[in-house]
Amino acid sequence: MTSSTKEKSLSNNEEGVNPLTPQTGTPLSGVTVVEHGKGVAASYAGRVLAMMGATVIKLERPREGDPLRYEPPLLPTKHANSAIHAYLNVNKASVTLDVATGAGRELLVELLRRATIFIDDTHPQSRADWRIAPANICAELPDLIYLSVLPFGAFGPYADYRATEINVFHSSGEGYLLPNGLALEIFPNRPPIKAYGHLGEFQGGTSAALAAAAALLALPAAGGQTVDVSVQDANVALSAMTLQRYGDGVLETRPTRSFTYGGVLECADGHVQILLLEQRQWNLMVKMLNAPEWTRAPGMEDPMTRGERGKLINEHLRAWAKTRTVEEVVRLARDAEVPLGKYFTPPDIIASEHERARGFIGEIALDNGTVVSMPTFPFRLSESPVPTLRNVPGRPGEHNAGVIGTMLGHTQDELDLWYSLRVI
Amino acid sequence: MKPLDGVRICDFTLHAAGPYGTHYLSMLGAQCIKIESRARLDIHRRPHPVYGRLEPAEFDQGNGDKYAIELNLRKPKGVELAKKLVSVSDIATENFRPGVIRKLGLSYDVLKQLKPSLVMASVSAAGQIGPEWSDPGYAPIFAAVGGLGYLTGYDDGPPVELRNMMDNVTGMTMACAVLVALYKARKTGIGEHVDVAAREVASSFMGDAMVAASAGIPVQRKGNEMPYASPHGVYPCVGHDTWISVSVSTQAQWEALARSLDAAHLMGDERFRDAAQRWHNRKALDEVIATLTVRHDRNVLTRQLQAAGVAAFASFSARDLAQDEHLRIRETVMDMTGPQGKTRAVTNAPWRFEKTPARMERWMPGLGEHNEYVFGEILGLAKSEIARLVDEEVIW
Repeated sequence: MTSSTKEKSLSNNEEGVNPLTPQTGTPLSGVTVVEHGKGVAASYAGRVLAMMGATVIKLERPREGDPLRYEPPLLPTKHANSAIHAYLNVNKASVTLDVATGAGRELLVELLRRATIFIDDTHPQSRADWRIAPANICAELPDLIYLSVLPFGAFGPYADYRATEINVFHSSGEGYLLPNGLALEIFPNRPPIKAYGHLGEFQGGTSAALAAAAALLALPAAGGQTVDVSVQDANVALSAMTLQRYGDGVLETRPTRSFTYGGVLECADGHVQILLLEQRQWNLMVKMLNAPEWTRAPGMEDPMTRGERGKLINEHLRAWAKTRTVEEVVRLARDAEVPLGKYFTPPDIIASEHERARGFIGEIALDNGTVVSMPTFPFRLSESPVPTLRNVPGRPGEHNAGVIGTMLGHTQDELDLWYSLRVI
Repeated sequence: MKPLDGVRICDFTLHAAGPYGTHYLSMLGAQCIKIESRARLDIHRRPHPVYGRLEPAEFDQGNGDKYAIELNLRKPKGVELAKKLVSVSDIATENFRPGVIRKLGLSYDVLKQLKPSLVMASVSAAGQIGPEWSDPGYAPIFAAVGGLGYLTGYDDGPPVELRNMMDNVTGMTMACAVLVALYKARKTGIGEHVDVAAREVASSFMGDAMVAASAGIPVQRKGNEMPYASPHGVYPCVGHDTWISVSVSTQAQWEALARSLDAAHLMGDERFRDAAQRWHNRKALDEVIATLTVRHDRNVLTRQLQAAGVAAFASFSARDLAQDEHLRIRETVMDMTGPQGKTRAVTNAPWRFEKTPARMERWMPGLGEHNEYVFGEILGLAKSEIARLVDEEVIW
């Protein structure tokens, strides 16, 4: 295959949208981001910016591309594309570039001259080896925002540590406290767990996107700068309550963190979550149950003494829920204004009328025409268009011609040379 | 210089996600004016029996750095003063139940007439629009409705309730949305109403599961597993409730782990010969690894494994967070001393800006601590006028 046929289309989908075309009317239209990341945190930061209208150019390794393309579950696409890769890289352009080569680094700097933000999650040692550390890059590009996204940040005793999701999640204080409630009651002796998937890294990515937005606002006064984002730091900040309680003299553990009553209830066909923090909510729940005798027993009225009877309360609540369907329990709680919600499955959310009405769920075609559903974005802006799903990069380097050729002005001969040298 | 120097927030939020979101903006340098009243106190100023607390909290992380005023929104004059404050602010935030802000006469439609470039954020469980807009929610509920709770847990157990972290990350998402909107407002002069739905924040962290499900690939709870990585889990170490997380994805890492655990013989075990075999026998492998790690000090083992190229780290409790050298050096965790003279560990801003450092500077304010400054200096009311409004229970 010649490079010209390789670059026939700027989009993965034959009828897709060119991600290099600015999205007018969006908050970050006109902001160009170069993302050199292979982890979830950096990629999610790029996704946030892309969904807000920035032009995001994702750099992948030549040939095999982003490692996340291969993380199961894999999608039935022409080119390697996992579910997580499709989700994280929607609305981005894909360029292959080996920044470890001299020519690759030169092209990177050339690209960064046209960018506002550079997102990088390269291990500090490799950054130094490849001369792409902030000290190397920012000296040449003083107006650039260099967003460093690393598991433990760019300095400190753990800066060089290797970590995957389970390590950073458990380094933050939250993993130590999972599970609690019903799961802990059933399996009191099992090791703690992490949350589903890549939660810690997604949260790190959100923190990085927030920092990028702050650096953008500071740009006119401060110029470019490096922002050191640590996924651990982001998650520790989110665990502030457990540190706060420690300061109050309470060291939270999985058993002590469990609610004394309420929590996960098993229904006939699924699970719901009930939470009764205030006296008013307890009263509403009693009313919903038609005030059975056990709710009127001594000690049940006062919130403090009631907590001591948590086991008994849960026995009754669980017996009540077990004989009813989720739908019935949710309906009763909604009518009674009791705080309770269903444990939704992914298909439930995809089908949710509420989420459809809000534009939270969208559809996008993959490179083989398969249409998948995914979240757009978890907030709405009144004066900007609802974020739309425009494209999912198919083949690594699908937008090489558009970026390195058209945007940077290099000739086809140069591109062919770099292809042959595996620079791109 | 901080990134948000000169930015002012009129903050009506009182509980969890809202105050935590504006806390991020405060640490970034925004002047955040927190609006309470004696009838409408922030949750940290009230008892919290669920936490066994029968009096106000001594400290609340989400309210550090803020300016606290009393303003009674049940009085028409209180609403008028709130409008005046909004008109000299860049951002307004609220997390009432949907519909309440409109009843108060402080909806975005009203406020944008006063300040067209205003960025206003509303945070709620299900968002401001949609058939289920009025559903209430606390973190474990919107984590459940958002799907993340369903997918978290042991593969043979029930779903797991997720807690305060979900509130706080909703706040973080709100802060991010507000800054993106502020960036646009500065360019165009036109503000935004930001509608943040906490359940969608939870769902957005499992977008991969929804992509898979829509492609016909079921996704279920799976404890600590990650596909085709084994061993991959949390294993016991020396000491009560002391754990290390270990993640092995290559043959070299597997061999390094076996050697570090003084168990080189495992490399010759057919069940664990290669990645495919280890994945197939992962439950048995987890049991074997647990019998080995339990003889090791978690910190020594972490250093040993990291030196050998294996991703490993302790499972940190709050005590660990408070005492960890790395977090102290990065000032992610630092000490603050309150007005009563007691020092405690708190979390600081989670980013290190080279030129515009963000930081938590001050302990949380007392109720109405900044009445004089805000009503006098910012809104220009005379002392006699302030006194009269206090008597009328407007500043109250």
